Amino acid sequence: MLARIAAFEFRYLLKNPLLWMAAAIVFLLPFASLAFGIGFEEDVRVYKNSPYEVISKYMIISCMFMFATTVFVSNIVLRDDETGFGPILRSTGISKFDYLFGRFLGALAIVALCLALVSPGIWLGSLMPGVDPATIGPNRIGDHLYAYFLIGLPNVLITASVFFALATVSRSMMGTYLGLLAFLGLYFSLLSAIGWRAEIVQSFGIAEPFTNRAFDDATRYWTTPERNTLLPEFSGTLLYNRLLWIGISILFLAAAYFGFDFAEKGGSRRRRRKEKIAAAAEDVAASASPPILPTPRHGGRAAWALLALRTRFEVKQVVRSPAFIILMLYAASLVWVGVIMEWQPENRPSYPLTVTLIPELESIFFILPLIIVIIYTGELVWRERDRRMHEIVDAAPHPNWAYVVPKTAAVALVLFSMFLVSVAVAVALQLYLGFAGIELGTYFLWFLLPMTWDAMLAAALAVFVQTLSPHKFAGWGIMMLYVAAKFTGIVPEHNLLNYAGHPPVTYSDMDGVTSFREGPWVFRLYWGAFALLLLVAAHLLWRRGAEVGIRARLKLARARFRGAPRVVAGGALLTFAASGAYAFYNTNVLNRYETAESGEAWPAEFEKRYIKYHGLPQPSVSHVKLDVALYPSERRAEVKGAYLLRNLENRPIADVHLLLLDRDLKLVAAAVGGGRLAFEDRKYGYRIFRLDRPMAPGETRLMTFETRRWHRGFANGEPNTRIADNGTFLSNDELLPVVGMPGPPMVVSAAARQEYGLPPRPWPPKLEDLSGTKNPVGGNSWTTADITLSTTAGQMPIAPGRKVSDVTRGGRRIARFVSDAPIRSRFAVQSARYAERRRRYGDVDLAVYYHPAHAWNVDLMLEMLGASLAYYESNFGPYQFDQARVIEFPGYKYNYAQAFANTIPSSESYLFTADLRAADKFNHVAATIAHEIAHQYWAHQLTPAEMQGAMLLVESLAQYSAMMVMKSMHGGDQMRRPLQEQLDHYLAGRAWEKMEETPLIRVGHQRYLMYNKGALALYLLQERLGEAAVNRALRSLLEKHRFKGAPYARSLDLVAALRAEAKTADDQRLITDLFERITLYDLKALEPAVRKRADGRWDVTLTVEAKKYYADAQGNEKPAPLSEPIEIGLFTAEPGSGAFDRRHVVLMRRQPIRSGRQILKLVADRRPSHAGVDPYNFYIDRNSADNLVPVPPDGS
Amino acid sequence: MLELNDVSHVYANGTRALDHVSLTIARGMYGLLGPNGAGKSTLMRAVATLQTPTEGRIRFGDIDAVADPGRLRRTLGYLPQDFGVYPRVSAYEMLDHLAVLKGLASAADRKATVETLLQQTNLWPVRKKALTAFSGGMRQRFGIAQALIGNPELIIVDEPTAGLDPEERNRFLNLLAEIGENVVVILSTHIVDDVADLCPRMAVLAGGRIQLEGAPIDLIRATRGRIWMKAIDRAELERYRSEYELISTRLFAGRTLVHILSGTDPGNGFEPVEGGLEDVYFSTLAQSRRAA
Repeated sequence: MLARIAAFEFRYLLKNPLLWMAAAIVFLLPFASLAFGIGFEEDVRVYKNSPYEVISKYMIISCMFMFATTVFVSNIVLRDDETGFGPILRSTGISKFDYLFGRFLGALAIVALCLALVSPGIWLGSLMPGVDPATIGPNRIGDHLYAYFLIGLPNVLITASVFFALATVSRSMMGTYLGLLAFLGLYFSLLSAIGWRAEIVQSFGIAEPFTNRAFDDATRYWTTPERNTLLPEFSGTLLYNRLLWIGISILFLAAAYFGFDFAEKGGSRRRRRKEKIAAAAEDVAASASPPILPTPRHGGRAAWALLALRTRFEVKQVVRSPAFIILMLYAASLVWVGVIMEWQPENRPSYPLTVTLIPELESIFFILPLIIVIIYTGELVWRERDRRMHEIVDAAPHPNWAYVVPKTAAVALVLFSMFLVSVAVAVALQLYLGFAGIELGTYFLWFLLPMTWDAMLAAALAVFVQTLSPHKFAGWGIMMLYVAAKFTGIVPEHNLLNYAGHPPVTYSDMDGVTSFREGPWVFRLYWGAFALLLLVAAHLLWRRGAEVGIRARLKLARARFRGAPRVVAGGALLTFAASGAYAFYNTNVLNRYETAESGEAWPAEFEKRYIKYHGLPQPSVSHVKLDVALYPSERRAEVKGAYLLRNLENRPIADVHLLLLDRDLKLVAAAVGGGRLAFEDRKYGYRIFRLDRPMAPGETRLMTFETRRWHRGFANGEPNTRIADNGTFLSNDELLPVVGMPGPPMVVSAAARQEYGLPPRPWPPKLEDLSGTKNPVGGNSWTTADITLSTTAGQMPIAPGRKVSDVTRGGRRIARFVSDAPIRSRFAVQSARYAERRRRYGDVDLAVYYHPAHAWNVDLMLEMLGASLAYYESNFGPYQFDQARVIEFPGYKYNYAQAFANTIPSSESYLFTADLRAADKFNHVAATIAHEIAHQYWAHQLTPAEMQGAMLLVESLAQYSAMMVMKSMHGGDQMRRPLQEQLDHYLAGRAWEKMEETPLIRVGHQRYLMYNKGALALYLLQERLGEAAVNRALRSLLEKHRFKGAPYARSLDLVAALRAEAKTADDQRLITDLFERITLYDLKALEPAVRKRADGRWDVTLTVEAKKYYADAQGNEKPAPLSEPIEIGLFTAEPGSGAFDRRHVVLMRRQPIRSGRQILKLVADRRPSHAGVDPYNFYIDRNSADNLVPVPPDGS
Repeated sequence: MLELNDVSHVYANGTRALDHVSLTIARGMYGLLGPNGAGKSTLMRAVATLQTPTEGRIRFGDIDAVADPGRLRRTLGYLPQDFGVYPRVSAYEMLDHLAVLKGLASAADRKATVETLLQQTNLWPVRKKALTAFSGGMRQRFGIAQALIGNPELIIVDEPTAGLDPEERNRFLNLLAEIGENVVVILSTHIVDDVADLCPRMAVLAGGRIQLEGAPIDLIRATRGRIWMKAIDRAELERYRSEYELISTRLFAGRTLVHILSGTDPGNGFEPVEGGLEDVYFSTLAQSRRAA
């Protein structure tokens, strides 16, 4: 019986068009990815049919498939309730078990078969002609079996069981959809909240239903060759995950069985109630006299009453439904979970400022409101029909707008309520997180109002679509296409053409979210007017009575289009046109309208025209004199400046090239002493001055110029936030012209270069290319500066250097800053209403300039400024300036800090509003200050040549220096956690390397090398050679290159300085391994045992397994012999855990370790609880956790 | 006065539901009889402005229902053959809401209307209960209550007594009769007794055409002496069907009663009977079938 029912269900579903659509998608997604390179994961370097990709594709598709699965399995019982066929079926003597599970199995079989189409998709795709053979590996049946049976099929079983149970027990489609929504929302917010944190990965890998996490864990540090050939071992997390979730699926199926009432729908309680009501109704005798009733009136007042009452009715209908309550609870939990998870110290949370929470809320409600609008609108527009009430209602004399407006309003209210609940939860969270600065007005203006408005725009579109669509599902389908287009970004780029589009809104607490509000609201008005037109159309075309044909409705619409609808439509059209024209004036006339395409074309053309001038001998700027006038509220900056140009080349220079690197900067005037303009390209901002008499080597010339930067109105894209009402931050490229064409490619992506016909431009230049030593990294040579910065009174102007005057005159505050010590011609000016806190460190004036409300971390910054300078001055040499300043700038889209000469601008969110209350002492604020101050040495005293390995001398040394400041403050025993963090970033970074991994001496742009591996390498070296030896090497390097021009330093100079300190062959080999090779270790501690000795001490035995590998640029590994002195440690607590410090160290000593297995015998004074090899993770080890093992109880 | 002038309706799938229907309906109850699928509901919907006929004119007084459906709706009360209700809405609320739609803007007017109608239809004790919990009869009474909101001049009730028990049906028809004294009431049904009991005038609709129109009394009178009846065995039915012009058959006490139409005494044990409206109806249907 079961089998026959299953077979029937199978055949029944075969007729479902949705199945064929789903099947087509399942097949086409992987097929298109392979055959045409369109689709997911296409830019990863692994083969598109590699085991990694096969599993990924099965995983992703089996997740996406849950929508189809939900429809199929919920249909199993609901369709009988819908058709009323249920009682007939259930009276046939079929058992509940056969009925439910026969159908479930049939549906599951269909779904399983459908999912298996991924394999032919991949396989056929790999055989298609025109496929790049470099992207395809061998097709291996085992990969597919693994992916299908262990990953894809169980995933489908899980969702099928869960939603089958939900539909079967709730007996409601809406309930099931809401369940799906809740499931997805919770799943994704958990996923994003947990992020990549290593500590909880293990358990989450088991708990996460689709093995996304377990699979990621297993392959986290896999390099490309490994991803191309290996299948993750089906054990541990993966195995437990599958067992757990198959178990949970069975539980859900059981719940479906026991929760399903095989009798009448709705149960007997309702029926009993019905009978009681009927009895009550009969109690009163009939009165049969004809009624005398009031007569209706139609007209203005009645119309208002109609609107108000109809709206109230629709709203009540929505609000009373259980779905609404569930939705509100769901939104509340979504916000709570989503936000609270962000407040883990590892996520570097900010204080829960309103403007920090609003983007969080926006991201939580990025796509969800649209889906809710679509579902609700469909339900509301079709409700009269779905409830078969339309004949009664449609025969009433109310006009069509009495449907359209209240229904739209009801949808808007649902969304408004949801947003309101979210705000309430957000406020509760702020209070819960101990933050009292609640700004209800900000929530209203920047979240509630715009989000509700946007939801109404979506609702108007959905109402219009549903009005025209022949069926609710068709309407939903069309709207889902719209959502998909929005979600994937396949929409017109101009907001005038992209329905409900507007420039993105970014927030800053410091600037008070006021500078950039105009653009979004003009577009909202524009689309609001259009939405009104849609609603008028919906009013005219409303489906009323039995009149469903569109042609008949068009005929009726023409007759209805007079009077008020015409007036409203006219007004809307006028508003639409006027706001559209105004928006166009702003986006395309006042501002440059730029698509992703045209945005790329400009630098491409620039490079094509002028890169040829790179390398031409040009004078250097040796002194800068500037008068910068800022007008923050106008978003304008005017610069009058002069460069003292010096010919540092050894030959005469005839031409001076002057160019602009920022398209928003205008050159108003420019002149060179003894020269005239010989070439001018205004469009690309390139000018050449011919000198009447060439500059002799060593000769100087004065160049004067004027520039202007003025951000008027609003742009179509993201606003340029560099000049804001409160908080301007402009660096040299954004204010000043540049002398001489810089070398880096202006178009980086290889695909784009090819598209624009640009030849490959390998950058930076090779380490061996000695001509590169002529250029300082970033192109900024040494200069001195004299900067006068004026801004509006009430703001504080800040520029690098010593402040020599500061006056307020005529509504302007004018300050002059002089830099006598050489600085690189790279600096920034800032202006805002700052508070100031200062401290002295020796002769150095330490200062933090901050938004008065953001004082939380200022003392820590001052402390770290001092501590960093103390370590650097005693280890590397003197600090070159009289001041060190940290200066806040508005967050908006920026989240970083940067080191300029004696100034460290930091966005508010990065350092200033960072919430460190739950953070440890290695928090990023402390680390960043130490890092940026280190750049005053490693960038601002020693400048490397622009070539491979340059960043080793900049970022790696700064990162190392910061680590050493931390170590000096907290002790080396505490460093395991920061080291593990560096290690994790390095290993994860190299796994996703798209080009090739280089040894450190050749590091290019890879952050995981320059920051993370650099820090690890240097830290290990100072452990092995000693801190003093490494710092001696750095000091000698610095002394050789301090403030020196060409030839600039290379990475090899650092390695040479280090080698000079390395006394043993082991140490020399270590330097080779760390800087000139890619070296990986695999150290593992196991089987620890302790036994008490007669003398009261403890014998400890520990097995150590050790391996070493060398990897090539692609990640292929080759075993290498290991023989090195490596730390062995015994502890009474786990290193890196919260309480661990020096007192927990029982024994720590370096011991020769060689490749393979070895048993170590140690004697300890105290009984250790943990034992390990390289317990603090000095070495690069892909499994850093197994370096430590807990020691079992005695005797074992 | 409702006038239908040459009204035809053809559905998109080609079904001709109404075929040149012309009727003039004066104040009072008007019965529209017809089997299922005869086009009754299409006719009702067309009059209720829910369906624009493909051809023909419908006028009510000076209102052109096709050109200006909105105006007709202001004087219309309509009880469709089949309707559902919103969940979680009580009878009171729903009536109140429909009163809003019908243009009763003031709360006082609506209160008077709703309360009177609830009393009238005996739904007062259950006014606060959800409509979804109503029995079929109660729902039908609710249906008539809503059709009476706002003193309509034209009331259309489509199959109103389906699913009512005899007592409810009685009460319902009484109410309709009272109202029918002042306004136009069109009662569409396939139950002959409803028409016989209530309607001074009637029409029979079959195959989309008006087969017969007039006052029931006249129509019954016209069949006098032409209807004959006989009780036969079931097995004989086929023979009788072929030999006589059979109008209707009905089981009674285990035997089959057949009615036949015959201008003269057919003999063979047939007895004359006083024809009822039912015989009129069935003979009309029988004729229209033959014609088809």
